[in-house]
Amino acid sequence: MIGTKFSRRALLGSALAAPFIRGAAAQGEPYVLGSVFPQSGPNAEYGPVFTSGVQLALQHIEQDRLLQRPIRYISEDSQALPQQGVIAMTKLVNVDKAHWTFAAFTSVSKAIAPIGDRAKTVMINGGAVGPDLSGLSPYFWNVIPLAHLETRTLLPYLVGQGKKRFALVYVDDPLGDAILKELGEQLPKAGGELVGSFSIPRDAQQFGPVAARVRQVRPDAVYIASFGAQQAQIIKGLRNNGVSQQLCSYSAMNLESIRTLPEANGMTFTVQKVDYAGGDALTRRFAEDYKKAHNREPTVYNANYYNGCRLFGLLAQELEKTNTPVNGDTLRAALLRVRKFPLVGGTGEFDDAGNMMAAIEVVQWNNGSLTKLV
Amino acid sequence: MLFVQLLLGGVQNGALYALTAAGFALIFGATKVFHVAHGSAFTLAGYVFLYGWTHNWNSALSSLAAVAVAVAFGIGMERLVYRPIQRHEGSFFTVFVAAFGVSIVVQNLVGVFAGRGFASIDTPLSNASEVLPELFLADVFWVAIIVALVMFVALTLFLSRTNAGVGLRALAQNPDLLRAYGLSSSRLSMLAFALGSALVAPAAILTAMTTGLNEAVGNHVMLLSMASTIVGGVGSLRGAALAGLLLGVAESVVLVFLETQWASAASFLVLFGFILFKPSGMFGAAVAR
Repeated sequence: MIGTKFSRRALLGSALAAPFIRGAAAQGEPYVLGSVFPQSGPNAEYGPVFTSGVQLALQHIEQDRLLQRPIRYISEDSQALPQQGVIAMTKLVNVDKAHWTFAAFTSVSKAIAPIGDRAKTVMINGGAVGPDLSGLSPYFWNVIPLAHLETRTLLPYLVGQGKKRFALVYVDDPLGDAILKELGEQLPKAGGELVGSFSIPRDAQQFGPVAARVRQVRPDAVYIASFGAQQAQIIKGLRNNGVSQQLCSYSAMNLESIRTLPEANGMTFTVQKVDYAGGDALTRRFAEDYKKAHNREPTVYNANYYNGCRLFGLLAQELEKTNTPVNGDTLRAALLRVRKFPLVGGTGEFDDAGNMMAAIEVVQWNNGSLTKLV
Repeated sequence: MLFVQLLLGGVQNGALYALTAAGFALIFGATKVFHVAHGSAFTLAGYVFLYGWTHNWNSALSSLAAVAVAVAFGIGMERLVYRPIQRHEGSFFTVFVAAFGVSIVVQNLVGVFAGRGFASIDTPLSNASEVLPELFLADVFWVAIIVALVMFVALTLFLSRTNAGVGLRALAQNPDLLRAYGLSSSRLSMLAFALGSALVAPAAILTAMTTGLNEAVGNHVMLLSMASTIVGGVGSLRGAALAGLLLGVAESVVLVFLETQWASAASFLVLFGFILFKPSGMFGAAVAR
């Protein structure tokens, strides 16, 4: 009798609980995603830009019920400084037990890579472009074309436009050093010449004296390799102090504060090619939802970190299908097995080092609008 | 011509450094408070002027608003932060940490309300034109020089010709004697903070026009103000102003001889030189122990 009662209760309980069983599974231990972005200091403008891409991807992963387990997202502040980045990454890996992390800035990425490498935690870079970020660790992947790919698109174009003599103003950090090396190697191949290179400290704010030195080498074009508030200060400093030549740079110029800077008019730089209006359904959905949420067009930085987060969703989904635990090794194995993923901008294909291939275009700021040149 | 160009550029920057350094030195000299949040007054003044400019306020009104906010911040710090601390304990370290904390809060608040990133004022004043072959000068050069001169003349007259000014100097030299004469050191401290903070406003406005602002701009200002105070001689207003000018010129002119990455380091080489060979600074008096 007791057995019968128990069976009835069990049956009744099971019947009542049935609709929630999948939901309960979905409410299991969350996946932990963490970011090491600058949220304060002179480069703080990037933090919200990168984060908004991640957040939209999280929203879409949830809407699409891509995963059985929920995701917990933790944002840490790197201040774009290696030391702060290491502190943030150590916390994400050791305290929060992050499954997947987002990195930005070349110097920060290089500083945190050994920590992620030791913990076998995947690190996704969608903002830094130092060429030596390729192959930094088996768990460090890039969803952005690195600087050597950008300069190899930009330099032939500008040389073709008659800009033969280049001056470089570069920040004294791994990114700046990498661009200096690239320009030194690639300009002669493209038919140009590096006539002067001017290193500046990360915290430099006065560029009138640098402009005087730049004018002296009589360049046809000035390449700026910096980031954050400083790159706007360089542009303003050069333009206000008699440097009227063509200014050029890499994808870091695709920033709101540069767009609205009158002195940046005519700035020519390279970005990833993404057709937000005429692209595939995923790209259009991303662009529409981003515009709805932020009341402005998305940039490639938003798209990159969206892609970085969506990539986690796709890989973890792949692993969940086969009941494989989700960790750095299994995620990496899945990446190398699948290779091609539907991402914003089209199919993203990864090489052995974890670098995503992407087409690059040359663009120019014209009165606050981006004009495609090539 | 490169030397002349760099010298003039250095004088322009130096004039702005001199204003901020004089403000810091005035506060430190009179009250002995190491006002690390002085850079925050600079940041706030710059952003208030920027707000007025972007909202089409009259330039004079924007400037007055910038001065008012800087003064209010200085007085607020003296009343609400430094005085309560000094009432209880008043150690240098506590005051330093409190001021440092406030400067971080201000930095973040500016980021929240004004946006994180670069902001500047687009004005023809900062556009340089070629006045001689290879020599470029912007109108803002003359504005910076004139503003700095007017401010220093006005400050000197105030300190030497008014009772409050004389009281401020007395507060710097002997606060006990000042109290014995029935003067209020509390009010004079407040005045020192108000005047010292007001001095950063013109520098902040001109910086918004030339190099632009970001939420962390105050850190650089603070470093230069401290360096100028030490080089000029602790407690000497004249020394701090001249040292500010010297540091501005040094970080510019050094590019005649060295690579561009050494510009900022030049200021601090000057600072180390003074610490090593003339620790009392340019106008500081040596104290026997």
